[in-house]
Amino acid sequence: MKYLTIALTKGRLAKKTLELFKKAGITSGGADDENTRKLIFTNEEMGVRFFLAKGPDVPTYVAYGAADIGIVGRDTILEEGRKIYEVLDLKYGACRMCICGPPGAREILNSGDQFRVATKYPNIAKDYFLNRRHQSVEIIKMNGSIELAPIVGLSEVICDIVETGSTLKENGLEVLEEVCHLSARVVVNQVSMKMENARITWLITKLKEVMEK
Amino acid sequence: MKNLRIHTPEGFRDIYGSMGFKKRELMESLHKVFEAYGYEDIETPTVEYFDVFGSDIGTTPSNELYKFFDRDGNTLVLRPDFTPSVARAVAMHFPKEGMPFRLAYKGSTFVNMEEYQLHLKEQTQMGVELIGDGSVEADAEILRLTCDLLLRSGLKDFQVSIGENNYFKSLAQDSGLGDEKIEEIRRLISNKNFFGVEELLEGSETFDSIRQAFIRMPQMFGGPEILDEAEKYAVNDGAREAIVRLREIGGAVRESGHERFLSYDFGLLSKFHYYTGIIFSAFTYGTGEPVAKGGRYDRLLQHFGMDAPAIGVGLYIDQLGNALSRRNRI
Repeated sequence: MKYLTIALTKGRLAKKTLELFKKAGITSGGADDENTRKLIFTNEEMGVRFFLAKGPDVPTYVAYGAADIGIVGRDTILEEGRKIYEVLDLKYGACRMCICGPPGAREILNSGDQFRVATKYPNIAKDYFLNRRHQSVEIIKMNGSIELAPIVGLSEVICDIVETGSTLKENGLEVLEEVCHLSARVVVNQVSMKMENARITWLITKLKEVMEK
Repeated sequence: MKNLRIHTPEGFRDIYGSMGFKKRELMESLHKVFEAYGYEDIETPTVEYFDVFGSDIGTTPSNELYKFFDRDGNTLVLRPDFTPSVARAVAMHFPKEGMPFRLAYKGSTFVNMEEYQLHLKEQTQMGVELIGDGSVEADAEILRLTCDLLLRSGLKDFQVSIGENNYFKSLAQDSGLGDEKIEEIRRLISNKNFFGVEELLEGSETFDSIRQAFIRMPQMFGGPEILDEAEKYAVNDGAREAIVRLREIGGAVRESGHERFLSYDFGLLSKFHYYTGIIFSAFTYGTGEPVAKGGRYDRLLQHFGMDAPAIGVGLYIDQLGNALSRRNRI
């Protein structure tokens, strides 16, 4: 039997996902061991294997068919824009994509003047300002600590994920607008969905079942 | 710094040596199948007026077309696919009395995708168009031909997945839901989002049978038994006709013994108005993308001043080559 390969997003999301799989009776062959240096984990008896990858790489593995299934945040799916099936909302890892800035930035946002947006998600930000707000803005791609940008004057606002909002508050920023809701999703390769339909459908239904318990 | 004199632009490549040999061999053997089915070669220019691929016709968004201008300021494009070009050529040169026309093409197509997506920007396509025949037999002929082409290429394990645009379209028309909601449902169904449709329809006003159909559609794919299931939810004429058509096509393909390669997928929905009847994609192991795509487009020729039903299929030769060379390594 061909292995069903599942790509997990490294970090908190993987931990939660592996718990969910465990509840569904699918053990991961040691992927939940935090001290291991192995890269790929096999459950021989079910013909399933897992590997951990950086978030933005998960849709890539799935789109190319190197992984049949991926578990990844919706932010990454939107940002990467790959041709993959998004089959199930796992509901955890829930947060929002928001436009944030100092309170004074609200005015700039509505002024019609050109302003700068710092973000880790240039595609999402571009889509939001261009297609929903019909504004042309200057987008600055960053790789972390986005909150810093408006404080040191790199940008007027930021487009970033907000969970509790406490980082924002501590730095004198607030949510100005909401772009969309986010959570962990199950994505599937188009070809795998056809060629391995029975096993994938079984897996997704099983996950949905234990999710609702 | 990149030496622009010796490198090819991103998404373009040189093909030589054994790779070139294999590609040529593959294309020659596929061409023999075209000939055996009685398809005549047609060559259309690489460059066409933008209007041939305008948003009311083409399947390629304008921002993914390679565009430039001629001396008179008209916008020109490198063809992103063959079907509109062939339709234009037929409307221009072929007297209607001679229908049906069986035409085969091969050549490069150009799509200016975002970087690092799957595709090469220049891809070789080979395919056929059967113009002037709207019958079930024509649909079956194209499906048989698709199977024969893939078999001839050397693939053994593949699936041709068939959908019918009118099933969803007619149910959507009678659902009483707004355009925006229907578009969202279309997206969820195409994404095979098993539970998303259910959540979206929770509490919205629509007929229960249509609601059930929409909820089931992401999972309505598989063998002929799926047709029976889809029929249960087919509450209007449009949806019922779609099922009848698929059954007849299945019957007509059966005679050739190729029906083992066929499967049905009611979630295969096209965003484009281009397709009017069946649409299909061929899948296999070793490539994350379809190796062939096709469908019926009975209204496309109207855009070029000829009223004729038509159906066609295009094979992505580079994808097919990948699938063939990776086949033994998985």
